[in-house]
Amino acid sequence: MAEPTMTMTQWVKRLTFYEILVGMRATLSVFVHRIILRNRRAVTLQYPHEKRDLPGTYRGMIALLRYDDLSEKCVGCDLCEAACPSRVITVISAEKEGEPMKRYAKEYSMDMTRCIFCGLCVKACPVDALAMTTEYEWAVYNKRDLLLNKQQLLALGDRNFPEREKKIELQHHNVTFFNIGHQDLPVMTSQEPPVTP
Amino acid sequence: MDQMIFAGVTLAKIVLVMAVVLLTVAFLTLAERKVLSWMQDRMGPMEVGPYGILQPLADGLKLFFKEDIVPAGANKLLFSLAPILSFVPALIGFAVIPYGPNKEIELFGYTIRPFVITDINIGILYILAFTSIGAYGIILGGWASNNKYSLLGGLRAAAQVISYELNIGLAIIGVLILSGSLSMVKIAEAQAGGFWHWHIFGGLQIIGFVVYVISAVAETNRLPFDLPEAESELVAGWMTEYSGMRFAFFFMAEYTNMVLVSCIAAVLFFGGWQPAFPKTIVEYLGFPNLAWAESVFFWFPLKVYFFLFLFFWLRATLPRLRYDQLMRFGWKVMLPLALANVLLTSIAVFFFRQ
Repeated sequence: MAEPTMTMTQWVKRLTFYEILVGMRATLSVFVHRIILRNRRAVTLQYPHEKRDLPGTYRGMIALLRYDDLSEKCVGCDLCEAACPSRVITVISAEKEGEPMKRYAKEYSMDMTRCIFCGLCVKACPVDALAMTTEYEWAVYNKRDLLLNKQQLLALGDRNFPEREKKIELQHHNVTFFNIGHQDLPVMTSQEPPVTP
Repeated sequence: MDQMIFAGVTLAKIVLVMAVVLLTVAFLTLAERKVLSWMQDRMGPMEVGPYGILQPLADGLKLFFKEDIVPAGANKLLFSLAPILSFVPALIGFAVIPYGPNKEIELFGYTIRPFVITDINIGILYILAFTSIGAYGIILGGWASNNKYSLLGGLRAAAQVISYELNIGLAIIGVLILSGSLSMVKIAEAQAGGFWHWHIFGGLQIIGFVVYVISAVAETNRLPFDLPEAESELVAGWMTEYSGMRFAFFFMAEYTNMVLVSCIAAVLFFGGWQPAFPKTIVEYLGFPNLAWAESVFFWFPLKVYFFLFLFFWLRATLPRLRYDQLMRFGWKVMLPLALANVLLTSIAVFFFRQ
């Protein structure tokens, strides 16, 4: 208490609890503005009743997409599985029947308990078959319910992206490597660049 | 027969006071959460009932149906005894608080005093004695839990409660000198006739009042003196191992103590049920028969709830003290101030009363 540098004003401030009173005035002023003057609002969002507006780039649950003719986009290339840092994705790819050069994901499952929602699989996908939805309310009682199979992932895509991409062969320049069957190749005309959406 | 009637009337008063106090305690938990959230730009409980006013019922039901766990290695007897030991002394104190004018009513040929359960001539001493027993509840609870955090909380509580109880005892001596009595009823009556006769203003007991309020906050283990509980350091202090109704008992004991301490502060320093003017408002309006109602239902609750609000206000504002700061503050600041207050008051009374 007896620091030599202590001035008279400091003494008075300490004796009258000046700093504490200043703090108490601050809390009381918030209280008065909230309750009596009514010109201050709570920052609380009453979550289950009201929800935040999410940005379109929000990284929620991952979905598999379809083309507008309801065929799956996925070509079973396994690149998402390779890109995934937490080994969420398992792809078993197979040949399309009757089209030996075309492949598709026979089984596609995601273990969402491990997913870190980094979005690398979406970046890695050469045919834009994966997308991140804005769904986030996926609390479940059984952990196994988060092991999503292909049907569930496609359903996620169906309900979150009702507008589907038009299916054109060669629509993406990468598609040439993965998605070309030799049967129904469209006729390439001279030097036209590949059509991109 | 007379004794039977007396016992019956007293029992009725006890039941009434118990009911009011426990109801206050229940809704105090809600009030605290609401006031804190209003001061912190939040909303507080909003789900149960309109604006969350039924939250205490939900909390009570939840605690009532929760599993009651006694940890392995705990001393079962003391573990069960501790919540009772802290809750009962808190409730006992309300026996001597005057809630209204000390007048006698003739009812069916019997005289009863409706506004105080019992007027014993050492009222304040009785309260201090019983609140000290409450500290045993905390210490025994901490020790019997067989948990290091509980033990640390209990030890802290022991040191803190003992240090600050001393200050409480010294802070109120000025008031006792001025009223010349230890009876709560007489102390309240000594402050009649407007707020300039209250002990805090008329008796210049401002130092005693400040020391009392600060020590009372420390005594009830509320923030900023909640070192025995100290969530961030000791999980929940002495309550760590308690669950279900035993925990509820500790919880209620804390809030009951708050109400009790506020009642004492109102009676000792703010004139208890005395109105702020020489007469009550209804007397000025010409209804002297209703003066007691204004005292009981307006002035006394007003003062008590002001102090309860002060508890929440302090909690919303101040961070927790460090342990050595707490001890230094208690022994090196509060104690000398209380002693100086006793000295100055006695000198003043000696010269001005002669």
